Amino acid sequence: MFLELDKKDGKKIALTDSGKQIVSYEEIINFGKNFYEVIGRRTLIFVLCSNCVGAAAGYLGAMIHHIVPLMLGASMDRQLLGELVRVYHPEYIWKPVSMVEDHERILLERYQYVLVATGLKSYPLYEELSLLLTTSGSTGSPKLVRHSYGNLEAQARNISAFFELDDMEKPMLDLPINYTYGLSVLNSHLYSGATVLLTSMNPLNPGYWEFLKTNEATSITNVPYYYEILKKLRFFRMELPSLRTISQGGGKLNEELHKEFAEYAQNTGRRFIVTYGQTEGSARMAWLPPKYALSKCGSIGKAIPNGHLFLVDESGNEITEPYTIGEMVYEGPNVTLGYAQSGEDLILGDERHGILYTGDMVKTDKDGFFYIVGRKKRFLKLWGYRVGLDECENIIKSAFDVECACIGNDECMEIYVTTEKDHDKIRRYISDKTNINSSAFKVCYIEKLPRNEAGKILYSKL
Amino acid sequence: MSNLEKYNQAFCELFSLEEGFDGVAVRINDTEDWDSVGHMELITALEDAFDIMFETEDILGLSSYMEGIEILKKYGVEM
Repeated sequence: MFLELDKKDGKKIALTDSGKQIVSYEEIINFGKNFYEVIGRRTLIFVLCSNCVGAAAGYLGAMIHHIVPLMLGASMDRQLLGELVRVYHPEYIWKPVSMVEDHERILLERYQYVLVATGLKSYPLYEELSLLLTTSGSTGSPKLVRHSYGNLEAQARNISAFFELDDMEKPMLDLPINYTYGLSVLNSHLYSGATVLLTSMNPLNPGYWEFLKTNEATSITNVPYYYEILKKLRFFRMELPSLRTISQGGGKLNEELHKEFAEYAQNTGRRFIVTYGQTEGSARMAWLPPKYALSKCGSIGKAIPNGHLFLVDESGNEITEPYTIGEMVYEGPNVTLGYAQSGEDLILGDERHGILYTGDMVKTDKDGFFYIVGRKKRFLKLWGYRVGLDECENIIKSAFDVECACIGNDECMEIYVTTEKDHDKIRRYISDKTNINSSAFKVCYIEKLPRNEAGKILYSKL
Repeated sequence: MSNLEKYNQAFCELFSLEEGFDGVAVRINDTEDWDSVGHMELITALEDAFDIMFETEDILGLSSYMEGIEILKKYGVEM
């Protein structure tokens, strides 16, 4: 069974959320049976997620019975959601009861979630296809990452191995579960028989800390921006006796902050673990063991168990010399099958055969530790969430009658447009569409976009 | 510039509010851009403007325009 859920202590609490819902391992398995009785066959469903028992139970019910879920944020833009429905034809949608529309017939209702039918017919699904996630969740790009059953098994097994997880763990899970990194926390801890604490609150909400303390959370896992907030909140002075592990991923933490958290962990007998991953690699691919947290500050560490990392130069030859920059390549059982761009692609098989070109430019030191120095692909990680630059250009171009080019860094996206008007409107529009605070976007006027003879935008000239 | 003017200015700049906005209606998660990111920016802006450093409970407690005024008073900022 998925995550060997049937081999855990059935009475043990598997999930608890900040809305005070609680389910045991046994209840999940029983709910899964109900879920399957209603749906009745392998098909595609959308799960509209917030971090609560309802969303997680729907996901698990689907996975146990080989129904393929696409995990999306419940707060995503309605129009973008509508486009995904049109492109992929989910047969059912599992969503919060608050999102039910008048004309919809409820087929199943549990944990404040409901199942409704769309009247659409699923495209044929490749037999090993287990799960779909978006690459750039916020822009609603129809590009999805296709996972196999083996990917998720490897993910759960490997992560629980290098984190040394057991059934005593109670991880705080506030990273969205429709995001690969959040989902990997859920999978690896359920595989270990632990109790996962789900919340959609963030650390600026007093209720977040109350939830963490009342439930005696043993670990926190989050993106760099979260650790900036924690520092500001005087985290280092907080009394958190149950907390044992602090883990960071989803982008590069600045070295100063890395050092502060590593020192804090060392001084208080906790573990600080930096990881590296991507949706295409079923979340984590590298980790920095806590004993190196200080001596290898700024490094993403080495490959996770059962994985292999190496660098290649521009002609694809392996680089073996330390301190030489190349594209990092990952090889392992958690490399996903490939992308889907349309419903017809759901029948596609394994296109990667276990090898992933990460798009990250990386160097190693003399001890073989990896350090990220840049990025080859056109995306940013704004507040830890991946946002495709080309997708943002398309969103803006289709809503405003302008030429547009997006560049930037993980702090701020610069949007160059060929109009002097509407700058505030454009900023607001892209902020709404991506669900990202507008301070991450800057709109600049340019008379004409720099292009080469073939008409391609020369981003380096912006 | 008076303290209240400085306080209002921070809100106008961060949350695109017009001068003379209705403070009572300005609350975290209701006002556009006042999410966790906007909140951190607000805290930093107020700390800089009044040369103070908030305690954890006040960073968490500053969830509306009106509460912010009360919290600033605790730090000796006369409004």
